[in-house]
Amino acid sequence: MSDHPRPPTEEPRLTTRRPARSRPRHPLHVVAAMPLALAGLLALLVSGNALRPFDRIATVDGKMASKSDYFKDPEVRRLLLKHGIRVDIHRLGSRGIATQSLRDMDVVFPSGQPAATLIKKRQQRTPKTARPFVTPLVLGTFRDYARTLVAAGVARPQRAPGGAETLYYDLDMRKFMQLIRDEKTWNGIDFTAHSRRSNAGRVLVRTSSVCESNAAGTYLSILAFVQNGNQAPGTESRNRPVRRITGDPVLDVATEVKPLINLQGMAADEQADSYFSDEGEAIAPVSLIYEHQFLKHQVDHQEKRGEQDSSRVLLYPSPHALTEPELISLDDDGDRLTDLMETDDDLRRRAIELGFRVRFSGEDGTSEQLNAYLREHEVQVPTPNPDQTKVDAPDLDALERIINHVGSCPPPGQEGPR
Amino acid sequence: MTTRLRQPALALGLLLVAAVLSGCTEDSEPRTLRVLASPELVDMEPLLDDLRDDTGIDLDLDYKATPDLSGSLDGYDFAWPATDRSYLLRLGASGKPVARPESTAVMRSPVVVGLTGAAADRLRGGAPGKRLSWADIADAAAAGSLRFGMADPRRSDTGRAALVGVATAAAGTGRALRTQDVSCDRLRGFRSGQTLTGASSRELIDTYVRRQDDADALIAHESELLTLNASRKLRRPLEIVHPEDGMVLSDFPLLLLNTGESRAYREVVDWLHRDETQRELVRRTWRRPATQDVPRPVELREDIGNALSYPDRPEVVRRLMDDYGTPGRSTGDHVVFLLDFSTSMRGPRMAALRAAFADLSGADPSAAGKFARFYRGEKLTVVRFAGRVLDERTVTVRGDKDLEALQSFVAEGEFGDDTAVWSALGHGYTSASGALREHPDRPLSIVLMTDGESNAGLSYGEFTRRHARIGSAARAVPTFPVHFGEADAKALRRAADATGGRMVDANSSSLSQAFKEIRGCR
Repeated sequence: MSDHPRPPTEEPRLTTRRPARSRPRHPLHVVAAMPLALAGLLALLVSGNALRPFDRIATVDGKMASKSDYFKDPEVRRLLLKHGIRVDIHRLGSRGIATQSLRDMDVVFPSGQPAATLIKKRQQRTPKTARPFVTPLVLGTFRDYARTLVAAGVARPQRAPGGAETLYYDLDMRKFMQLIRDEKTWNGIDFTAHSRRSNAGRVLVRTSSVCESNAAGTYLSILAFVQNGNQAPGTESRNRPVRRITGDPVLDVATEVKPLINLQGMAADEQADSYFSDEGEAIAPVSLIYEHQFLKHQVDHQEKRGEQDSSRVLLYPSPHALTEPELISLDDDGDRLTDLMETDDDLRRRAIELGFRVRFSGEDGTSEQLNAYLREHEVQVPTPNPDQTKVDAPDLDALERIINHVGSCPPPGQEGPR
Repeated sequence: MTTRLRQPALALGLLLVAAVLSGCTEDSEPRTLRVLASPELVDMEPLLDDLRDDTGIDLDLDYKATPDLSGSLDGYDFAWPATDRSYLLRLGASGKPVARPESTAVMRSPVVVGLTGAAADRLRGGAPGKRLSWADIADAAAAGSLRFGMADPRRSDTGRAALVGVATAAAGTGRALRTQDVSCDRLRGFRSGQTLTGASSRELIDTYVRRQDDADALIAHESELLTLNASRKLRRPLEIVHPEDGMVLSDFPLLLLNTGESRAYREVVDWLHRDETQRELVRRTWRRPATQDVPRPVELREDIGNALSYPDRPEVVRRLMDDYGTPGRSTGDHVVFLLDFSTSMRGPRMAALRAAFADLSGADPSAAGKFARFYRGEKLTVVRFAGRVLDERTVTVRGDKDLEALQSFVAEGEFGDDTAVWSALGHGYTSASGALREHPDRPLSIVLMTDGESNAGLSYGEFTRRHARIGSAARAVPTFPVHFGEADAKALRRAADATGGRMVDANSSSLSQAFKEIRGCR
């Protein structure tokens, strides 16, 4: 054990240690160890754990994707430990979770409804679930690229208070898709006029794998919705004139949006990690992320540096898509966690501090508390786009077909990485 | 579900007992996890001692990782390659529904070019501060003014990343390479400048240290070149160039192979992402951090440019590697140009032809031109024809003199009456047969440029009958007709199809463009 009390977020680890057998006793050791023992006692008292001596700490194993951000948070871990729960994260894309084995798992936490629905359909019983928060899908970019898109008439800056430089832009998806379709490069839309850098690469969004991730699947539903004239594919009325490629309206749309995704070549995991890393701008000009990841970054930046990160800015796609993660229990220990997530105000409040939009009872929207939190932390509050068009996701079957067509996804399997 | 008794009172008791018995000076017992690692990661060893001290986890790195982690993964808990792209391509191509393992980027390094000071000056051509590109490297390699070392793309992930980077720049589409982008090999000129290779970049660098006179550039990770410079093993440090037309970025991901070790995996990843660890690994390994706000030395502050998209089709990378072949063992190609010198070519058409040959000899300043130009070691035969074969000249390019000789042969030619397209092509195949008897390993192709319909000599039918009788090696030689002026596109296309070549239309672009387009096709 180290020579200072462990942070109260961690459980005592000494129970697993076996006393060494062959060492000779020596009274000096006892003397040396006493402060440590006292420090340990103190730590337990401070964390409140000593008062509940016979509680079990249940380790809840959960497969989750980007929403592991929540369960990785030290404050969330501390709050859960108070309730005798420790969450072990197994990271995997949401759709990957839905298509892989859930053996040995107590919960799963896919980042959006399509994967959640797939998982629930596979369960024998109706599982306990919790939907603690929502967050919009957004595109993370950098100032020079955002300015280039504004000049190209594709994006519009949101007004920042006090005439400061805005962190947020609204992106016209229809025009943006046309740029990609027209095979424009960044230099081709005058990037060099807005930056000291140069970029001969094509205008494109870097996404994670459509076969595996909720973000990429949701982005695909935005593309399909816009491509289909702001209508969810598969919902067209019969007498509407359809462009015939395959004769199947859903596959037609999939065929049309496929090149918009596939020009990036190999998809990459962990979009947010690379976007926020120091080499983010070199890695990708535009990355597909979630709003909560960006807001959390800005709050942290403000706290650490006393200013917002003004080089990283967000593009809010218009029409927009909201994602709703769902915690799904698979057994009794999972039930305890989902119950807590539904009822514990501290856990929900912490979600706001992590950038999520949380719905509290008696409140109309999900944004008021988040906005207040951002204001309090001197981070610009994003304003809803006046164009409130929301993407109607295609029904699950249509979305699955679009995803499989665009990603040429392997059939669902139950195997490990070997 | 793992539930354990966690009774703090008991824990406290145990702690006291433990303190009495052992003095309680160590953390939990060290555990050893086996890691299949890239040979480059040997520089992580000192940091791993700190990992063991801090977490009790001992990573046992086995430096045997192949680019796509082929071979048995049994017995390994983690894998730690320079990049998992080739592995993921292999996984995807297996057609088996397997989940990709959890993967976390630990640090990054771009594939760059390290140049001797003299080579850098030469490449910048007296324009100091000029940003260099892969196209400039390819141009200088083809011209014979740059000799470089690069690890074998088949065996080294660094070599493979470099190859994909150069090929993506050569295609110049700004997107990930597709099958159609690699159907012609645009890297022949680039490759002709390669003098050093190695099974891994470590091996490559060791070779270079011993034979510094044999190359004036190394293509490798920025981190390896900075480490080499810092080692003072070189007479003069290499100047690091981040090519303007983009780079492939390696992110040294840690992969979880044994899902039973997911808790240890998370502990290791968290430790690797700690600020102190990232700072240390930047300092010790010259790689760039994977996280935010990590201080870095001045050498790592330079803008690395734009990361290139990586192809998602395994056959694209396979094709690149097959075309690239075994480094250092390739022979230059042999191209037979059959050029129409009938009187209709007089004037602007002949000017266009001469301009095209000048461009291919190094005058074309475009990126595509730099990749497509004639290169050292390439053998070129030019046949001038009209109603019959007028003249013929063959050179093997050793330097600018050879290219100048070829250009004047094209420039000073006399014209003749009539156009005997199929006789000329027949002559081309006769030359090809002879050349292949002499050098069966030298890849050969024919370019047939004409601006009119055949009105003399063999008919197409007579040509095909003769063609059917020649040896199989020569019969496999493809013909690339260049359609110009009033040539018979249908007949030319038929000849292309019959020989496995492809027709290009110079009327819609230019002769120069058309020649560039078919360079490297076979």
